Amino acid sequence: MAEQDEDSLIGYDPLAWMHRSDFNQDSQKTEVGESEADSSIKFVSSTEEASNLEMDLDQAPDDVSELSSSEGEGAVLVLEPVQNIQNVAILHQRLTQMLGNFDVIDIDASNVTMIDTATLQLLLILKQTAIGLQKSISIDFPSDKFIAAAELLGIAEMLEVDQAASGFF
Amino acid sequence: MRARIVAVLNQKGGVGKTTTSVNLTHALAKLGKKITVIDFDPQSHLTVSLGVVDPQKGGIDEVLLEGRNLAKQLIPVRENLNLVIAGPRLQEIEQLVDGGARRGDLLRKALHEGNRDEDFIFIDCPPSSGVLVANALFAADEILVPMTSDYLALQGLSHLMGTIKKFESALKKSYKFSLVMSRYIPTRRMSKDVLSVIQKYFPGQILATTIRETALLAECPSFGKTIFEYRPGCRSARDFTALAKDFLEGRMM
Ligand SMILES: Nc1ncnc2c1ncn2[C@@H]1O[C@H](COP(=O)(O)OP(=O)(O)OP(=O)(O)O)[C@@H](O)[C@H]1O
Ligand SMILES: [Mg+2]
Repeated sequence: MAEQDEDSLIGYDPLAWMHRSDFNQDSQKTEVGESEADSSIKFVSSTEEASNLEMDLDQAPDDVSELSSSEGEGAVLVLEPVQNIQNVAILHQRLTQMLGNFDVIDIDASNVTMIDTATLQLLLILKQTAIGLQKSISIDFPSDKFIAAAELLGIAEMLEVDQAASGFF
Repeated sequence: MRARIVAVLNQKGGVGKTTTSVNLTHALAKLGKKITVIDFDPQSHLTVSLGVVDPQKGGIDEVLLEGRNLAKQLIPVRENLNLVIAGPRLQEIEQLVDGGARRGDLLRKALHEGNRDEDFIFIDCPPSSGVLVANALFAADEILVPMTSDYLALQGLSHLMGTIKKFESALKKSYKFSLVMSRYIPTRRMSKDVLSVIQKYFPGQILATTIRETALLAECPSFGKTIFEYRPGCRSARDFTALAKDFLEGRMM
């Protein structure tokens, strides 16, 4: 994680890779559990994804995640199996909206089979935002793939999804 | 001298690509430059913003799909400013996948043939990173990226830089690259923080004038007017005139 100075509102700096002298495209890619064909999590940085010349059409699917709400103060957001840069903006919009309406938000990450850095960064930032607002966002039932990705990025503890904790949920 | 081909590009939606394409080109035209601007987005927002309404008429789609001569598609919309509309079939290009890489070269070929006498050709790109944007990147000499100052825009910029670097190495060329801070809200702390991050990575590549968020700029597309027609002399008109001079003189932050 590249940190800005403490005053800055920019937490994780997504452009940090541009200043890395050893930058090369292969080293950008880290995969977890490559051998498990269908359920393997691909932990792909957004820069690596961008470098794919056969670009995806950036059409965000309109059904990224479902919002099953709400008794009083709490709400639950269920993450879709694949979370990446294509749908991160929509996820951001939903979570921001939920943060406006609820004090306690649980994110059900049990279905996640693939999650990228963009999404993990977003979750981290919103979790911190929530703390600042005296609210809480917690990640419930994180799948093994989710935990592996968060650990790789070194933010499992901050997201409170380290192995030990998740066993109790 | 061949026209400088400028792609106005950012795969993120709503960052001000079309607003920049409309008002920067009009500002340049008013400064006496000969400009062609291409509506390269099937949504046709550029065309609408310039007050042209004829959705059935062909435009750049016919140039790319039928090999029609670009000169035949030019619509004079203001003094010194010609428009090429998107045309109803432009979205088909985005779906053409059979030809693979060959498809990326359609626009470049079209712009390079014939004797063009513009100073600049601007391409208003769609908010995607598909075949259309690949065509724009093949054709362009320069990339102008409108940037808003929020966190996810930074994230998007990282993605975009990855794409551009990939094209540079595949096409063995190096783009002249500049950023314009658009929809800038000077009173918001986040704006300054995002700007300072961008300045760190793009020294000498951010056009000196920021385009501030104003109600007038949001209003003028619905009247088919540029800011210079809708409210001449207003703050946003002055922003765009200053931006045009920055662009011509290479004045950066
Ligand atoms: N500086 C500004 N002040 C106020 N409104 C603005 C400004 N720049 C753009 N807008 C408004 O924001 C919206 C999006 O801008 P614009 O269409 O230029 O973005 P775009 O990047 O072309 O979008 P798209 O990705 O859909 O093509 C429009 O309604 C436009 O009028
Ligand atoms: Mg547009």
